[in-house]
Amino acid sequence: MAAMNINKNQFEQLLQGSKPVLVDFWAPWCGYCRRIGPAYDALARELGQSLEIVKLNIDEEPRLAQAEGIEVIPTLILYKEGKAVDSIVAPESKARMERFIEEALAK
Amino acid sequence: MDTNRIYDMLIVGGGPAGYTAALYAARAGLDTLVLEKLSPGGQIALTHQVDNYPGFEEGIDGFDLGMKMQAQAERFGAKTAFAEVYSLELEGQIKTLETSEGSFRGRTVVIATGANPKELGIEKEAQLVGRGVAYCAACDGMFYRGKTVAVVGGGNSAAADALLLSRVAKKVILVHRRDTLRATQIYHKPLLEKENVEFCWNSQVEELIHGDKLQAIRLRNTQTGEQTLVECEGLFVSIGRKPATELVKGKLPLDEAGYVIAGETTETGVPGVYAVGDVRTKPLRQVVTAVADGAMAVAMAEEYLAGREG
Repeated sequence: MAAMNINKNQFEQLLQGSKPVLVDFWAPWCGYCRRIGPAYDALARELGQSLEIVKLNIDEEPRLAQAEGIEVIPTLILYKEGKAVDSIVAPESKARMERFIEEALAK
Repeated sequence: MDTNRIYDMLIVGGGPAGYTAALYAARAGLDTLVLEKLSPGGQIALTHQVDNYPGFEEGIDGFDLGMKMQAQAERFGAKTAFAEVYSLELEGQIKTLETSEGSFRGRTVVIATGANPKELGIEKEAQLVGRGVAYCAACDGMFYRGKTVAVVGGGNSAAADALLLSRVAKKVILVHRRDTLRATQIYHKPLLEKENVEFCWNSQVEELIHGDKLQAIRLRNTQTGEQTLVECEGLFVSIGRKPATELVKGKLPLDEAGYVIAGETTETGVPGVYAVGDVRTKPLRQVVTAVADGAMAVAMAEEYLAGREG
């Protein structure tokens, strides 16, 4: 299944859940956001059991994006127990995203 | 994809050249795997409109074109792994690629790793990427709506970037080390007519001035040595490309600029290994020449494989 696009309410709910949450902050006009799409969806399929892997369109939720400190997209943030533990901007490969997740989960 | 299998053809890179090789290989009945670290399309995946690939009279979005090339190759049985290749063993009859998704073996290997934007090579450049320094106007231009940006370069991509940014930014300053553009004529007029585009000829960027983000650039005039400070929040570097050949350094003959030395047949110095698309030495790097390489590599690989069986 492809990574689901969520809104602010869903974001807040997910953050209260027990699973860590990975959010891809993106926008439709961002070329590189599309580029990471297929690999990000593959991650959602492969790691979806242990991790919520979702996307959030910053044009739909500009205030939330600002509150989360998004200045460049795509930015991926991993949240654990409701808190942002680490982020990565414009990862260059699926392997890089996997390393990021692994390292962020270990923090 | 299967790490136990010996593929007929392993293709490193899923741009137009790579997926055309995959298409021809799959149609020729070769067991084919494309290793792509992110998504299909290569450099065109960041181009909003490709207007010089025949058959799409209104132009086609580069990302969509890449996805279509992948889908077309896969229709005939080619497979894709989202794998980042870490090292290659190209000698011998069975070649091995170590990747983020395990190791893969193949009888032939097609190098289709393409090229990437060149960096300026000045201090703080890497540190300021995403905080003012950018390499893709089509990707990051929207962040500079209503702001002042500079574009460095004088070729077609610099001119196209400046034109694109002029529609979004308050002001665009084109910085070029010569006194005239190298870009094809088609770009000159619209650029010169834009009221919010300024030119800094005979200039190069000496220093990036920043706090948290980029604030200004210091330019040096290449004729007079005079230095000027130009305030801008964005700096788009568009000074050409460099081949992605780190992986094959020392394994395949490269030219001075780092491109894999291969002629029209795409054969490299190693039997059963082919170089296609922008990564190969060639006079014109375009999607149409890349796809031609892909087809050629498969023709040569078929001959090579048949010769080995015979």
